[in-house]
Amino acid sequence: MTTAPATFDFQATLSEKRMRGLWRMMRGYRLIYAGALFFIGLGAVMNTLTYVLLAYLVDDVLGQGLYTPIVLLLIALGFVGLALLQGGFTFLGGRLAAQTSEGIVQRLRDYLFDHIQRLSFRYHDKAQTGELIQRSTSDVDAIRRFFAEQATNAGRIVMLFVINLVALLRLNASLALFSIIVIPIVLVVSIWFFRRISRIYEAHQEQEALLSTTLQENLTGVRVVKAFARQSYERDKFEKANWELFLRGRRLLTFHALYWPITDVLCGLQMLAGFLAGAVMTINGVLTIGQYVAYVGLVVWLIWPMRNLGRLIVQMSSGLVSYGRVMEVIKEEREPLTEGVYQPAGAVRGAIEFKDVSFEYDTSVPVLHNISFRCEPGQVVALLGPTGSGKSSLVNLLPRFYDHTSGSLTLDGVELKAYPRRFLRQHIGLVEQEPFLFSRTIRENITYGVGRRVPQGEVEAAAKAAAIHDVIMSFPEGYNTLVGEKGVTLSGGQKQRVAIARTLLKNPRILILDDSTSSVDLETEQEIREALEGLMQNRTTFIIAHRVQSVMNADLILVLDHGRIAQRGTHEELLEQPGIYRQIYDIQTKIEAELEKEVNRSQLSVVSSQ
Amino acid sequence: MADDIEFEEEEFTTQFNGRTLLRILAQTKPHWKWVVGFLVTVTFVASLDSYFTFLRKQMIDQGITPGDTAALARIGVLYAVMIFFQAAGVFSFIYLAGVLGERVQYDLRRQMFNHLQDLALKYYSKTPVGWIMSRVTSDSARIAELVTWGMLDVTWGAVSIGSAFVFMLFINWQLALLILLIVPVLLAVAIFFKKKIIVEFRRVRKINSKITGAYNENITGVRVVKALGREEENLREFGQLTGEMYQAGFRAAWLSALFLPVVQVISAIAIGVIIFYGGSRVEQGGLTIGGLAAFISYVTFMLWPVQDLARVYAETQHSIASAERIFSLIDATPDVVDRAGAIDPGTIRGDIEFEHVAFDYGDGQPVLTDFYLKVKRGEMIALVGPTGGGKSTIVNLLCRFYEPVQGSIRIGGQDYRELTLHAIQSRIGMVLQTPHLFSGSIRENIRYGKLDATSEEIEAAAKLAGAHDFIVTLEQGYDEPVGEGGNLLSTGQKQLISLARAVLAKPELFILDEATSSVDTLTEALIQRGVEELMKDRTTFVIAHRLSTIKRADRILVIEQGRIVEMGTHAELLRRRGHYYNLYTRQFRHDLSREYNLFALTGAAVN
Repeated sequence: MTTAPATFDFQATLSEKRMRGLWRMMRGYRLIYAGALFFIGLGAVMNTLTYVLLAYLVDDVLGQGLYTPIVLLLIALGFVGLALLQGGFTFLGGRLAAQTSEGIVQRLRDYLFDHIQRLSFRYHDKAQTGELIQRSTSDVDAIRRFFAEQATNAGRIVMLFVINLVALLRLNASLALFSIIVIPIVLVVSIWFFRRISRIYEAHQEQEALLSTTLQENLTGVRVVKAFARQSYERDKFEKANWELFLRGRRLLTFHALYWPITDVLCGLQMLAGFLAGAVMTINGVLTIGQYVAYVGLVVWLIWPMRNLGRLIVQMSSGLVSYGRVMEVIKEEREPLTEGVYQPAGAVRGAIEFKDVSFEYDTSVPVLHNISFRCEPGQVVALLGPTGSGKSSLVNLLPRFYDHTSGSLTLDGVELKAYPRRFLRQHIGLVEQEPFLFSRTIRENITYGVGRRVPQGEVEAAAKAAAIHDVIMSFPEGYNTLVGEKGVTLSGGQKQRVAIARTLLKNPRILILDDSTSSVDLETEQEIREALEGLMQNRTTFIIAHRVQSVMNADLILVLDHGRIAQRGTHEELLEQPGIYRQIYDIQTKIEAELEKEVNRSQLSVVSSQ
Repeated sequence: MADDIEFEEEEFTTQFNGRTLLRILAQTKPHWKWVVGFLVTVTFVASLDSYFTFLRKQMIDQGITPGDTAALARIGVLYAVMIFFQAAGVFSFIYLAGVLGERVQYDLRRQMFNHLQDLALKYYSKTPVGWIMSRVTSDSARIAELVTWGMLDVTWGAVSIGSAFVFMLFINWQLALLILLIVPVLLAVAIFFKKKIIVEFRRVRKINSKITGAYNENITGVRVVKALGREEENLREFGQLTGEMYQAGFRAAWLSALFLPVVQVISAIAIGVIIFYGGSRVEQGGLTIGGLAAFISYVTFMLWPVQDLARVYAETQHSIASAERIFSLIDATPDVVDRAGAIDPGTIRGDIEFEHVAFDYGDGQPVLTDFYLKVKRGEMIALVGPTGGGKSTIVNLLCRFYEPVQGSIRIGGQDYRELTLHAIQSRIGMVLQTPHLFSGSIRENIRYGKLDATSEEIEAAAKLAGAHDFIVTLEQGYDEPVGEGGNLLSTGQKQLISLARAVLAKPELFILDEATSSVDTLTEALIQRGVEELMKDRTTFVIAHRLSTIKRADRILVIEQGRIVEMGTHAELLRRRGHYYNLYTRQFRHDLSREYNLFALTGAAVN
C-alpha cells in the first residue's frame, strides 16, 4: 500500500456540493463500496429468510405433523446455514466497507500531507499550525467515520427496512403498512433530538476545552501560583469551570435520558399495535400462525433500527462540515516546484544580479524598493541593517520562497523566474539564526535534504568541519541521539552548527547565512565563525550580518534601510564615506574604549575608597 | 492548541488488581443512593425485556391458538402498561448512571486538582504537564465510565441473561438447561474477540498519534523542508506511516465486523438445537408454538448482553490501569508542608541567612553544598553565573518551593520551617524570566497580585510598573483579553504586566529572574523603571542578565557549581579580573553593540 502515494488528485474532486465532492472522492472505490452495500443487503436478506423458514417450520412442518427427526434436522441445519450465510455476507460487507473507508482516507492523508508541504510561504505565513493539524487529523477522521460508520450503517438500516418491508408486504400488505405508521414520527423526533444533542455536546466540548486550559495554565504557572500563594483562588477558579462542566454534562445526559424512553414508547406501542392486529387477523384466519410468528420476528428488524437512522443523519451532517474544512485546505494552490523553462544540466555558477527589484507581501506595503546590485560567483555579499529593513526579504527571493514583484533578478544571466524552484533550492544552502531541527537522530538531521545515502565517514567529516563532532560524541548515543523532547535539547549554537554540517553535506553553490551568534559563549562563537568560513569557501554567499566584524571581509556590503540600499561598497570604501556604516564602526570601536574606561574606573574607585 | 496535543499514547500493561477495583468503587460511596437507583432500575428494565418476550408467547398460546380475543386484549393492556413502566425505567437508569458518571468525573478532577495545589515543585519537576493533564481529563472519564456504564452494562447483561433463563426454565426446563450450556461458549468467544479488538484499536491510536506528530513537525518545519527540497522523501516516509495505519485500521475494522457474525452463528447453532429438540415435542405438549418462538427470540437477542459483558470485561483492565495512575497522583505526598505548630509572624522582613545549606533535586547530583550567605534586610543581591550553576536553586529554596536537604534558612533569625508556607509565600513578589499569564483580561491578571484590589489600585500598580501606557492604547484597555497563556501580547508586554502584578502585591521580599530575551529599547527602559520601583526598600534577589541591574546591586554573587566563587560590589569584582570580569566584559560588548546599532541606524534614517 506504500507504492504510489498521492497520485490521486483531490483538487479535481472539489465541488460546491459536498455530497458530490464526497462521491468524487470515492473514485476507484465505488465498486468496492457498492459490493459492500450489496453484501450487507444479502446479509439482511438471509436474516429475513430465517423468519420465512420459521414460518414454514410452524405452518408446514409442525402444523402438518411432519416432524420426523430428518425433517427437523434439515430445518435446524437450515437455520445454521442461513446464519452462516448471513454472518459471511455481513462480514464481507463490513470488510469491503472498511477497505473503502481506510483506502480513501489513506489516500486523503497522503495527499494532504504532500499538499501542505507544497503550499506557498505566503500561505504558511498566515496559517495556524494547530488549525492545520486539526483539519488533517480530526476532520480527516470524521470523513473516515462518514464512510466507515455513518454512510454504511445508514445504508444497512435502509436496506433492512426495505427488505423486511417487502417480506411483510408479501405476508400481508395492510398489516405491513399498519406497522410502519410510526416510522416518520420516530425519524422526525430523533432528528430533532440529535440536532439539539449535538449542539449541547458542542457546548460541553467547549467547556471541556476551557477546563483543560485552566488546568494547563495552573500547571505551567505553578511557580506563580505558589509565589503569590494563590492556591485557594486557583481552587475556586477550577471549581467553577469544573462545576459548569458537570452541569453541561448533566444537561447532555438529560436529553439522552429523554430521547431513548420517548422513542421506546413510540416504537413499543407501534409494535404492540401490530402484534394485536396480527393476532386478530390470525384468529380470523387471514394469517397462519406461522406467518404471525414470522411477522413478530420481522417487525422488530423494521422498527428498532429506524431509531438510529435519525442519529446517523445528524452525525453525517457533521461529517460534511469536516469535509468542507478539509476541502478549504485542498482548494489552496500549490507552489509549482518543477515548473520552469530553464534548467542547466550541471550546477549554477552563482553570478547574481538585481536590477530595480521591488517586492511586497500581500499587504501591498513595499518591503524592497528598486534594489540593484550584482555579484560574481564566489563573492560574499553582506547585508547590514536594523530589523525590518528588508534583509531577510531580500535573501528569501533567491530560492524563490517569494517571487519579486517587479524588476529583474537573474542568476548566471538568466531570469530567476525561469528556473524551477526545486532546482534553485538544490543549489542554495540556508543557515538560519535558530535553525529548525527535526525530532530525529542527529545523523538524520545532518543528512536531511541530501537526497542520497551518506556514509558515516562523510557525516562525521561534515560534523567536524562544523565543529559539532565533539559535542555529538559527548552524548551517550553519539550520532544516534534523538533531538528534541525525547532526546537531547541542543542549545542555539549547537543547532546552528548541526545546520552548518547539514549545509556542508548539501554542498550548494549559493549560501545564505544568518550571522547571529548572540546566544553562545566566546569560545563557541570562535568555533562557529571558523566553521562558517570553511563553509563559505568558493560559494557565492549572502550574509545577514548583525555586526561590523562579520562583514569586514565581504566583497560587497549593502546597508539596507527601510527596504532601500542606503550605502554600498567594501569595508574600506564605506569607512571613507560619511554614513551609517562609519557610524556603526565608530561605535563598535568606541565600545572597547568604554569598556577599558569602565574597568579603569573600578580600579580608581577601589583605590579611592581605600 | 498545538501544544495541547499529546503525541504519544502510553502502554497499559497493568494486571488485574482487586484492591484498585475496590478503591474505584469506593469513589461512588458518597453517591451510593444513585448507584442503588440505577442498579435497581436497570434490573427492572432488563427483566421487563425478558417479560415482553414471555408476553408475546402468551399472546400466541393463550390468545391466538385458542382464539381467545378477551385474553388477547388482557395481555395487550398489560403489555402497553409495561411499555410505560419500561420507559420510566430507561429514563431513570440513563439519567442516574449518566449524571452520576459526570459527578464522579467532577469529584475526581476536583480531588486531583486540589491535591495538585498542595504538591511541591519537586513533583512538577519530574512529572510532565501532559501526563498530569491526561490523568485529570481522560483517565477520570474512563473511571467514571467503569463505575457507571460499566456496572450498569454488567448488571443489564447478567439480569437479561438470568431473567431470560428463568422464563426459559418456566417454559421448558430441559431445553433451558441445554441452552444454558451455550452461554459460557458465547461469553468466552466474545471476550476473546473483544480483547483482540481492543489491542488493535490501541495500535490504531498509536499510529494515529505518530501521524499527528508527523503533520506537526512537517508544518512547523515547512520552511526547512522547502529549503532543503525534502518534499518527496518526506512524503515517502509519511506514506509508510499511512500504510501502517491502513493495515492497522483495516484489521481493527474487519475484526470488529467479524465479531457479531461469529456470535450470531453460535446462537444459530443453539436455535438449531431448539428446533431439533423442541420441534418434536410441540405436539406432545412439551413445547407450544409460542414457547418455541420465545426460545428463538431469547437466544437471538442474547447477543447484546453477551457483547456488553465482554466489552466491560475487556475494558476493565484498562480502567484499572487508569485508576492506578490517578491514585498515584492523589497519593503523592507533598514534599514541602507546614510543620506542626508553624506560625505566621505577620511579617518576613528581616535578615536572611543560608546556613550551611546543602541541596540536591533527588537525583544524587549535589546542586548546593555547604552554602552560606547572610543578607541584610533591604539589601539587593544579584546572582550571576552560568546556567545550571545553582542560581535558580537558591531562589527556589528561598521561596521554599524546596527545602534544604541539610542546613537551614533563617528569616529574621527564625528557621523558616517554623513558619507556615502561606506566611512566607504570600509576602514574596516574584517576576519570572518567561512571564506566565492566565487566560482572562489584563485587569484580572494584575489583580492576581492582590485579589481584593480596586480598579484604582490596579491602575496605580500598572502606572508604577510602566504598563499603563500600553494598556490604554489597547481597544478594550484593562479589559483586553490576554489570550491563552498571554499569547495575544508581546513578550515585553507580558513582562510589564507581570511586574504590575508583583507591584500590586506589595511584597516584603522581591525576587526577579531577569529575562534574557530581547525586547525593544523603549519597553526595556519601561521594564527597568518598573523593576526599580519594586526594589525600593525591599530585600531583593535578582538572577541578573542586564548590566544596569547588576551594577546597581549591593552585592554581586557569582555562582558556579553550587558555590559562591566571587562576591562583592561591581567595582571590587571588576578589579579582581576573575569570573565576574569575564562575564561582565562579554555582556558589555554584546549589550552595547546591540544598543548602538539600533540607535545609530534609526538615527541615520531620520536624518
